[in-house]
Amino acid sequence: MKRIIALAIKDLRILLRVKSGFFFTFIWPVVVAVLFGFVFSGQSQGPRPLRVVVVDEDQSDASRAFVHKLASSGDLIVDQGVRSDAETMVRRAERSAFVVIKPGFGNSSARMFYGEPRQIEIGNDPARRAEASMLEGLLMKHAMGDFQKLFNDPAASRQMVDGALKNLAPLGNSSPAAPLRRFLGELDLFLGSPPLPPTSGSGSDGWQPVRITKVPAAGERAGPRNAFNITFPQGVMWGIIGCVMSFAIGLVSERVRGTFVRLQMAPLTRVQILAGKALACVASISLLQVALFAIGIGFFNIRVSSYPLLVLACACASISFVGFMMMVAGLGRTEQAVAGAGWAILMPMTMFGGGMMPQFIMPGWMQMIGNFSPVKWAILAFEGAVWRGFTPSEMLLPCVILLGFGAVCFAIGVRGLREA
Amino acid sequence: MLTFEHVRKSYGTTVAVDDLSLTVRRGEVLGLLGPNGAGKSTAVNLAVGLLAPDAGRVLIDGVGDPRSPRVRARLGVAPQALALYELLSGVENLRFFGEMYGLAGTALRNRVAWSLEFVGLTERARDRVAEYSGGMKRRLNLASALVHDPELILLDEPTVGVDPQSRNQIFENILDLRRQGGTLIYTTHYMEEAARLCDRVAIVDKGRLLALGTVDELLRTHGARPTLVAQTEHGERRIETDDPLAELNRLAAIGTVAAFQMERPTLEQVFLQLTGRSLRD
Repeated sequence: MKRIIALAIKDLRILLRVKSGFFFTFIWPVVVAVLFGFVFSGQSQGPRPLRVVVVDEDQSDASRAFVHKLASSGDLIVDQGVRSDAETMVRRAERSAFVVIKPGFGNSSARMFYGEPRQIEIGNDPARRAEASMLEGLLMKHAMGDFQKLFNDPAASRQMVDGALKNLAPLGNSSPAAPLRRFLGELDLFLGSPPLPPTSGSGSDGWQPVRITKVPAAGERAGPRNAFNITFPQGVMWGIIGCVMSFAIGLVSERVRGTFVRLQMAPLTRVQILAGKALACVASISLLQVALFAIGIGFFNIRVSSYPLLVLACACASISFVGFMMMVAGLGRTEQAVAGAGWAILMPMTMFGGGMMPQFIMPGWMQMIGNFSPVKWAILAFEGAVWRGFTPSEMLLPCVILLGFGAVCFAIGVRGLREA
Repeated sequence: MLTFEHVRKSYGTTVAVDDLSLTVRRGEVLGLLGPNGAGKSTAVNLAVGLLAPDAGRVLIDGVGDPRSPRVRARLGVAPQALALYELLSGVENLRFFGEMYGLAGTALRNRVAWSLEFVGLTERARDRVAEYSGGMKRRLNLASALVHDPELILLDEPTVGVDPQSRNQIFENILDLRRQGGTLIYTTHYMEEAARLCDRVAIVDKGRLLALGTVDELLRTHGARPTLVAQTEHGERRIETDDPLAELNRLAAIGTVAAFQMERPTLEQVFLQLTGRSLRD
């Protein structure tokens, strides 16, 4: 056992002295976890407000109030300007769209139920239709807000109704406006009557087109506390991949440079030599896992739901990928051949397995292919212990798959090394 | 100490070692002399258990098979291809190889220090091997074979590609080991090295043992006779003779001998005599 430990220490010492190996094993995973954590955190705060230019061609109190409302809503970042500048800015993609408040906006605001409606024009790049649709919805929302506000202010409503009745009076009772005059008369009567006491459950928020109530419905399991709960398991995977490639190439280097043969001339069995390699790889993967999860827990608010299961997940992932390392080392006779073959297998395995982007944002067919990747099961095991709240029986599936994969790869790798 | 008994080893259709029978006595330096591809390295690999013979057997002290790790622990090997970890320092390499042979603690420290001193690398012990010259790497390769104080040392072409200074250092090291009673197998294709360092020389070619004996025995048996080269008034005279003094007296009696010298036969001539080819062909 002392010889196996000495072999492992030698390999770890060499790993720490190969700058590229050290970087991809210990630094790169942290960069991936932190960087992507921040990227996904930004997305989780909701869509960014649209940046638009508003052209107020009406310049009435109502139009200015509307512009102010848009600017203070938080839905939009509003700059004001003239139409020509606005068109230029949209054409240059400096703004998502421009909004023109047409002349007569103020007058139309004073007569909601007849005459020309308030007119707003949207100018946008046809290639950005989604943003234009979103902008249309936001404008409609704020226009409806004016309507709601009117109903909730009886004095303002009566003022508007009185004005409208005066304007319609010259048309007489036989004109097409007669039904509208009757409606406005009834509305005036309604607005002039004392308010009804609130009925049960009606609340006192005034008139609303629809009341939407949010009811918290906690899931059976809590989701990830933040994006780092997703990116740190991915970062650990990147570190494991770095270890796998470093040790696989290191093993081939030993063959190419004659030190593997030299070890076989020493009083060591082949099993001892390979065990030393495996121990070094397990040790470095374990060190990486401890370091990365410690950083995540200490600085990025990762809360582990079960430490024993996390240890189990880490152990299974380590063993699995040590077997994979042995297989990769047996794929070629030179460092270049092994590096090429190793990355050719690892990249798709990592991509489909969710090491590059979370599996849940992949299309179904990619998720299905990912089932054949040990990366998927390793990440699932990590997540199961960190935030998915797996039970030991739920942890069994990813762990068994990882161990099985590792055993098969180890056997193939040892055979390949023997033949080489 | 080491015995080959009718050993045969082939790689596909190529016979690397063919019916080799040979015994290395305790305390002697045995040279395996032959051109490249003669089967010297294969013989070394058979001796250290790296290869299994197709036929015959290899024994250490008459009983142990070198394929057993326990038996291999008694051997020290400096392979022809440098087998060192370039990212480790000289002392780290030796410490590692010492540990592979079961050394630990004070014994390990002492043997590592002795090995470094022996090959003259104490001052560069902490430098990474990648920073060593070719000759220094060869010396460290030799030290890695000696660090565990083996009973039998196998040196496979230990002076290939080294500068004259390191070559002389390695020669001195081997002569020191010889004086200390070490048992060595020394493979080379340089007949001067074999003649200078070895007690006995085995001449091999195409996997077969052609001749075995001390250098004098080989020269006497397979080499030409010594040649007397004399400058007379009739020009240079070359006379093969077993009694050069008598020939010199005979020449002096019939004329004037301005100068003379003796040319002894070489192992090169022995190899030529045995194979019809030069050692460097």
